[in-house]
Amino acid sequence: MSKLVIAYLYPDLLNLYGDNGNVEILSYRARKRGFDVEVSENITKKTNLVFMGGGPDESQRRMYKDLLENKGKYLKDYIENNGVGLFICGSYQLLGNYYKSSDGSVLKGLGVFDLYTKHPGNKEPRCIGNTLARLSEDILKDPFFVPNNMIGKTLVGFENHGGRTFLDEKEKPFAKIVKGHGNNSKDKTEGVLHKNSIGTYFHGPLLSRNPHLADFLIAKALGIYKLERLNDDLIVAAHTASENLKQ
Amino acid sequence: MFYLAILISKVTHFLTNLLKVGSGYTFPGYIVLNIYPNILRSKKIKFPKGLVIISGTNGKTTTAKLVTHVLEKKGIKVVHNKSGSNLLRGIVSAILLDRDIFGKTKSLAGVFEVDEFSLPLLLKQLTPDVLVLLNLSRDQLDRYGEVDIVLDKWKKAVSSLSPSCTLVIDSTQERFKDFSKIFRGKTLPFDADSVCLKKTCLVGDFNAKNVSAAIETARALGFEKKEALENLENFEVAYGRGEEIAFGKKTLHIFLAKNPASFNNNLDLLIKKEVDAPTLLFVLNDNIPDGRDVSWIYDINPEKLYKACSGKKIFVSGKRYLDMAVRLSYAGIEVEGKNLKKNLKSALSEMPGESTIVLPNYSAMLDTRKILTGRKIL
Repeated sequence: MSKLVIAYLYPDLLNLYGDNGNVEILSYRARKRGFDVEVSENITKKTNLVFMGGGPDESQRRMYKDLLENKGKYLKDYIENNGVGLFICGSYQLLGNYYKSSDGSVLKGLGVFDLYTKHPGNKEPRCIGNTLARLSEDILKDPFFVPNNMIGKTLVGFENHGGRTFLDEKEKPFAKIVKGHGNNSKDKTEGVLHKNSIGTYFHGPLLSRNPHLADFLIAKALGIYKLERLNDDLIVAAHTASENLKQ
Repeated sequence: MFYLAILISKVTHFLTNLLKVGSGYTFPGYIVLNIYPNILRSKKIKFPKGLVIISGTNGKTTTAKLVTHVLEKKGIKVVHNKSGSNLLRGIVSAILLDRDIFGKTKSLAGVFEVDEFSLPLLLKQLTPDVLVLLNLSRDQLDRYGEVDIVLDKWKKAVSSLSPSCTLVIDSTQERFKDFSKIFRGKTLPFDADSVCLKKTCLVGDFNAKNVSAAIETARALGFEKKEALENLENFEVAYGRGEEIAFGKKTLHIFLAKNPASFNNNLDLLIKKEVDAPTLLFVLNDNIPDGRDVSWIYDINPEKLYKACSGKKIFVSGKRYLDMAVRLSYAGIEVEGKNLKKNLKSALSEMPGESTIVLPNYSAMLDTRKILTGRKIL
């Protein structure tokens, strides 16, 4: 039997908005289908899913050095070798080329995702609110993606970020914004889909109301095309209700 | 100008109540602050028996009520702000509405609970005799940003605070560890004390801390510990903080659960059976005072959630009842379809059995109380 081996990096420092809920949800949905689940804080040869959340500035400063000097190279290899990953908010930004603060200082990123983030200064409002997006065609066409007819192609969430992210032409967005700001409030793109890894601003327990995305990650991580269906009626109702929330 | 400010606040209070447009306890202060932004610096605002300012993420309302109770038992009239009106405007409203149009008041002491974010602003205008700092944890991130940002502002405010003030702080809070060093005045640390807690009607470790904070505050104001404790014996809980309300033949026990810390605290009460009932109702809203982001429900400890719910009938309601039900399901708690109640009023009237414990977040608590008592508190 396959085993879901999740590496949840910096769980204490990067858990600003209930991001850890995603690990709880992935574990629950895998166990429900009889798969074993192991969660650790490090990437090993057995790791088949990496998760990182977002953190407050101070925490991000503390893990930043360790990420660049230690864990970074393993993470980069993992992603470039088609490893499955989900990176939310702060960690999504850190995996880009650089982050330019409002005072002009530049923080070098890991350079895995070909994108950069710019903070426009505190006079520009933060991008906050309920969000609605349409998953990218690449995910919808992926054989590991099993559509949920009740949900369709949509993704619901909540975003709260000051930085604006711009993708290089080579990179593809993870979703297209219907309601909300997404990467930069301008080009309607949301997040990035880089090989089998996803970066996104849909923060906190993103997977709670998006079971199709949770199952896509699990299926991809385990290499199993047809996961057993779970009874998601309640979650579908929560997803549908969320589509009508005010931004 | 002070008298004019009083007049403005009285007229605004009267009109807001008459026209039912917004809160009569915040709007007067809002109008006055727009005209006189420095009103709180007025020399006419004096508290001969002490000015106490209380802030923190959780426990403000209960601690303020405890301190007020100790003072009033001694016959000292206290002016305090209503729970929920804890921004600058709420404090200005409370102070001005407490006076007659000649500026006179019988209140000799002031006890104010202040929102974490507004505290630094308030301390620029008012110097308290006692500043009580309870704790700081994640709450309403969409409004306030990160805890570290608030902590930084607190540090700046504490370091420039007059040494005539006494600082009462939780000695177990890692975040406050250098506060006694950066503050030039006297610090009184406190920690949970179960012996003191037992003298009151309150339960839970978090309330033990609130009681200790109130006793240290009373000591800073010149009370003996013994007297302060005696004064707390017939204390009644604050709105929605362990409050029991009779509703028809049933009793509903309301425990405000507005952020991960207060939620987990309440779950501990249930697990230790310090409070118990066969039915549990979760009410989750996403109104502006709650923070519109409900992501925080995934910071509720899932094992605690499971233990607290086991063997009980579980109901959910509130604007985001489906999200709460999903959160419960991931913690292994299945809520029966018929127990998913979109409408809070019908949920409350359909609760089975004699007693129910309600865990609402902030505006859900106000809604619940309004339905149960037929009155609004704010």
